[in-house]
Amino acid sequence: MAKMKIKAKEKKGVVKVKAMFTSLMADKEEAVKKGISPSYIRYIVAKVKDAVVYEVTMSGFMSENPLVKFEFKGKKGDKIAFTTIDNDNKTETETEKIK
Amino acid sequence: MDRRKFLGVGLVAFAAIVMPGTDLSAVDFRETMPQAWEVEKTVDGIKALYGNGALKESGKFSFKAPKLAENGGSIPITITSSLDLESIALFQDANPRCLSCVFSVPVGAIIDYDFRIKMRQTAVVTVVGKERGTGTLYTSSKEIDVSIGGCGG
Repeated sequence: MAKMKIKAKEKKGVVKVKAMFTSLMADKEEAVKKGISPSYIRYIVAKVKDAVVYEVTMSGFMSENPLVKFEFKGKKGDKIAFTTIDNDNKTETETEKIK
Repeated sequence: MDRRKFLGVGLVAFAAIVMPGTDLSAVDFRETMPQAWEVEKTVDGIKALYGNGALKESGKFSFKAPKLAENGGSIPITITSSLDLESIALFQDANPRCLSCVFSVPVGAIIDYDFRIKMRQTAVVTVVGKERGTGTLYTSSKEIDVSIGGCGG
């Protein structure tokens, strides 16, 4: 269901990451209004070599198709793995190479 | 800094050196603190998440947000800090539940987080950060005007 777009670029030892997740981010109230069941990502974690570099827990009050940007110290060629968990405890993982 | 405080800081620093890697594991705040996600008001939300600690304002901890948001469905927020923080949370009064997101910051991370939130009306947004080790709470807040409400409204 949920798709991810990940971009990671290294410059002078700092990796800049942009990631976009597909989700309606509909919390209880909004779901009632639209006549759909609630669906939102509640947890995102990014790991490089099993070390956590980014971690966020969220409610449905993030905007639709959440876009996050962040930086961390890393190397070119490493792989960054994103895992999301939505409100139905569905998990999705996607990996991207750092350019 | 008085002597007592200084000793306390030293002890904490020592503990941090002795036990490395304790906070490498992932924390899902939805599971560890379910009650904090149901609170309506910012003040109560901060208490539910971080306890009754005093909140400090600091020039080293701030966030960027537009003064006037045209579209309440997508308000860009940027949190930056040079402090060594353990976790950062964003609260707002506009929605039925105040907590928007909680970041747990890994050791040695660069704090420069960019994301977007939804707000259904004009309200004050508060960002709270907890310093690693000392547990000091830093805060920063701003009022954001929303002309068209988000949340499908």
